Amino acid sequence: MKNELQKIKEEVINKISKIKKEIDINNLEIKYLGRKGELTKILRNLKNLGEEQKKEMGRLGNQIKKEIRKEIERKKEDISGYFSSRDIDVSLPGVKAEIGHLNPLTIVQNELEELFTSMGFMILDGPELESDYYCFEALNIPKNHPARDMQDTFYIDKKNKEGDYDLVMRTHTSPVQVRAMQKYGAPFRGVVPGRAFRNEAVDACHEHSFFQIECLFIDEDISVANLKAVVREMLSKIFEKDVTIRIRPGFFPFVEPGLEVDMSCTICGGRGCPSCKNTGWLEMGGAGMIHPNVLRAGKIDPEKYSGFAFGFGWDRLAMMKFGISDIRLFQSNNLKFLNQF
Amino acid sequence: MLLSLNWLKDFLEIPGKIDALELGRRLTLHTVEIENVEDQLEKFKNVVIGKIVEINPHSNADKLQVTKVDVGGKDNLNIVCGAKNIEVGQMVPVALPGAILPNGIEINEGKIRGEVSEGMLCAEDEIGLGADHDGIMILDKKAKKGQNLAEYLKLNDTVFEVDNKSLTNRPDLLSHIGIAREISVFLNSNLTKKFNKINNYDILETEDSLKELKVSIENNDLCPRYMAIEVEGVEIKESPKWMQDRLSAVGVRPINNMVDITNYIMIECGQPMHAFDSSLIKEIIVRRARKGEKIITLDGEERRLDDEMLVIADGEKPVAVAGVMGGVNSEINPETKNVILESANFEGVRVRKTSQRLGIRTESSMRFEKSLDPNLCSLAIRRAWDLIKEVCPKAQISSKLIDIKSKDKVNFGFDVKPIKLEVEWIKKRLGEDVDSNKITDILEELGFGITKENDEGVLEVEVPTWRATKDVSIKEDLLEEVGRIIGYDNIKPAMPRVELGSPEINQEKVLEKNIKDILSLGLGLSESYNYVFTSEEKLKKINIDPASYIRLANSMSENHTLLKQNLSTNLFDNIRLNQANFDNVSLFEIGMIFMDFSGDINKDDKGEESLPYQERRIGIIEASNKEDVFRKVKGKVESLLDRFDLKVEFVPSEPVLSWGQEGVCANVKVLEKEIGFVCQVDDKVLKNLGIKKKVAVCEIRFSDLFNLINMQGEKKYKSEGKYPALERDLAFVVDNKILYNDIRHEIIGFSNLITRVDLFDVYQGGKLEKNKKNLGFHIIYQSPERTLKADEVENVQNELIKKLEEKYEAHIRNF
Repeated sequence: MKNELQKIKEEVINKISKIKKEIDINNLEIKYLGRKGELTKILRNLKNLGEEQKKEMGRLGNQIKKEIRKEIERKKEDISGYFSSRDIDVSLPGVKAEIGHLNPLTIVQNELEELFTSMGFMILDGPELESDYYCFEALNIPKNHPARDMQDTFYIDKKNKEGDYDLVMRTHTSPVQVRAMQKYGAPFRGVVPGRAFRNEAVDACHEHSFFQIECLFIDEDISVANLKAVVREMLSKIFEKDVTIRIRPGFFPFVEPGLEVDMSCTICGGRGCPSCKNTGWLEMGGAGMIHPNVLRAGKIDPEKYSGFAFGFGWDRLAMMKFGISDIRLFQSNNLKFLNQF
Repeated sequence: MLLSLNWLKDFLEIPGKIDALELGRRLTLHTVEIENVEDQLEKFKNVVIGKIVEINPHSNADKLQVTKVDVGGKDNLNIVCGAKNIEVGQMVPVALPGAILPNGIEINEGKIRGEVSEGMLCAEDEIGLGADHDGIMILDKKAKKGQNLAEYLKLNDTVFEVDNKSLTNRPDLLSHIGIAREISVFLNSNLTKKFNKINNYDILETEDSLKELKVSIENNDLCPRYMAIEVEGVEIKESPKWMQDRLSAVGVRPINNMVDITNYIMIECGQPMHAFDSSLIKEIIVRRARKGEKIITLDGEERRLDDEMLVIADGEKPVAVAGVMGGVNSEINPETKNVILESANFEGVRVRKTSQRLGIRTESSMRFEKSLDPNLCSLAIRRAWDLIKEVCPKAQISSKLIDIKSKDKVNFGFDVKPIKLEVEWIKKRLGEDVDSNKITDILEELGFGITKENDEGVLEVEVPTWRATKDVSIKEDLLEEVGRIIGYDNIKPAMPRVELGSPEINQEKVLEKNIKDILSLGLGLSESYNYVFTSEEKLKKINIDPASYIRLANSMSENHTLLKQNLSTNLFDNIRLNQANFDNVSLFEIGMIFMDFSGDINKDDKGEESLPYQERRIGIIEASNKEDVFRKVKGKVESLLDRFDLKVEFVPSEPVLSWGQEGVCANVKVLEKEIGFVCQVDDKVLKNLGIKKKVAVCEIRFSDLFNLINMQGEKKYKSEGKYPALERDLAFVVDNKILYNDIRHEIIGFSNLITRVDLFDVYQGGKLEKNKKNLGFHIIYQSPERTLKADEVENVQNELIKKLEEKYEAHIRNF
């Protein structure tokens, strides 16, 4: 029996060395180690032996079975891949699935939308090609108002009955303020993330097509203190730390009082650096208490309700958050840039 | 706008503990944004006085000379100079390496045409001290070598740069007097006697015996006030150094004493003035220009006028563009003896329009267009006379004071009624418990009058004339006054207390976000953000006629003249940009397109007209060196729609897209609705675009997809079915022209036992005949009522085969 076992072992190992296909090794495994396999058959005969022999042959049989199994496994690995468990370099990279990349603008937009939704704000949308009425008139910026100087507006080459250009690429997301008031009335809270346009030259800090988030909060007795709290909350969440904000007077015809919001420079911590022009402050955007004329345009009674609004460049938020120094990168659509996000 | 600290100090006391930087900071926090604070000593850092000790010819350039200059250091400096007026022994300003001149030039050591130059000898204009560029500025012989130029010139001012944007609504702040008033309020410091004197001037008195100037105003509404006097016996020369220094400090070029006085008053009091040579104008008529009239303005340009503009004319010709710029024909010149001083108020909108039409914006127009207080006119003319007496002691007033006011109007039409103001309302809106007395104090110090106060704390507040033109008229304006003087920084943030409620969810936004996640994180596409603009040139490359495209009226670049009608145009650019660096480029974009017909968004609150049609689209583009891009794009579309349980079909499209390859264009159809297109891009188009890869692109209308998904309703679990399914494979060869879609419909509709049909194989070529393709399907048979028997399925399958053979001439292949 001992000889039989040794013979099978040699036979099997010899056969294994010649095998090149997976199917053959599987067949071989069945032929020898299977339920009706040859080795199994021999071992089944153990029961007919004496105690002593049974023990010895049992040990030998199991040892040979183990060795054969090991050889089979090794062969299987050799066939299935060029790595064998003997010398696998575990530090080699895996097989990656291809994955795409969201534009960082979208990443920040998603964060903003989630944050404001969690605070009970609606997410709104409005047309990018807007009327003079909603972009200016309804926002307390009548024709020939000096404030229109500040708005380097792209006009659409179509004149109305009066012979004026009355269609524009919206210069801010604020037109949605009045559209939202007219649709939803008061009380109301909502934000509008969107694209806006200014007819100006493009450089590392300026884009003619940029991204704003407009926030609108209307209820009874809304105050400047409320505005400050919401702005601070937003910036602290986006930058994942407590930020210091500074509010100072500013002029926007659709708010009164008009405010400018600065944030303590995230790069130097307020000590002063080139990014903040050594002031320690970064300009974040305009804000203010909604002008009564704008509430009226939105069919809301300014004696009963008050509200605040602010509009921040969310592309600038993304620049600060990710340390992007050139605003043009967002719309460069260069994969070398996108692949980082 | 620039402010001089020395000038401000004429009008108010600034406590010693407030240095210039701190003052700038406080101005920013309470009044206007200060962009920069500059010490003149700093400005002229590295500009020192040097003595020319040697002048030699330049070996390589006839027009240049090489000087040796002693700036008080150990060695003389070697400096190359091109000016002709230099002589040995002269004292001159020398910009040393490291100096940054006002025109932005940074001085470095270097070689000029082969000769070492260790600095620059400066002309007046180069260091911002005048317009002279004819030669190097020659200084007094007694000047000290090595001394800082600012010290030598006794320039000891500090200059604040105000962001003009923050002055938009504050004509009163375009002056040192106005800014001084503000500072005195927020610093709580005293105004000077000079401030009070100027602000309380009586109207200038002139002798009755003097002659009357001939002044008439044709358009009262465009000129609420016109004041003028004539002064005789002036001597035109340089103005005194103190005046020149002040003007230079705030960026106004000194010209001659009369012009400088008018400018000085504008900067100090905010009222633009004009000085005419009296001998050059016969009379003064304020009227609209006549179409075709011309004037050469003081900047030397000939301007064509039209009847939308207001001019000052003398009966024959325009002599000045009202509120914008004077004319050369009546300009003060070295021979001028008698001067007519104009101190007028021109209507803001008209000045703004005029300056826009002419394309010139001046210090004067910038002030008028913000609506100046007409009461300033008399203050300014009185101040002018004070300064003329100081500068030209021999001068005499030689006419009566002219003062024409627009008729029948209270306070020149800027009549603001007193504002009713509840003190408690201020506190509520600020969200801060401010002391009531503090509120009234602030208003009064800013010049507002509290005329009445009742027991309930309701005030009647009178607006000072300098704030009444267009700035302050409602209580919210007063809220701002109180808020900013207290300082918004001193208001404690407090979250609003409102009723709790979950917001209405914007389902379109939710879908948009989902789609972006699926396409990027699921399907391996990266996200583009392209401009909404395109250009004729780009459209030409993809065979599109731009005629129907919406055009911008004032585009700044040829690349951005039209609004795009598809996403593909700009996505192609993205491929071109990335093709050199990546084998495969897979991008998507969700963006807007714009059509030249009406959409459904209202244009105004009357709701009669609509905005042009605007549509959100999803664009998917694949570029690769391999041929399979078309199927790859289709696969992405299918996977995307699978996520929403929508089955997509690709239907050959007719007509073919202008940039699509003939025969490789299809419409994307879902539930019998076409929602977009997919195509392989034509090789010729790719060549036009400079793209070296194979490209396929798809665009889907977002709102159509949104509606289809909404129609689906809530997702419901479907059980696998109680009875087992049987699967049969079927492969056959058909003519290439026969569409997969038709075959699929045929099979699935063949028997109600067939519940699913999946294509698992398609190939052409190889051993197959030309124009033939092989299609392999898994066909799933299942019944909801019973376990199907094999022969039952076999029968159906055989019938099906027969049908396919008959209808499509299919040749069944055996496995």
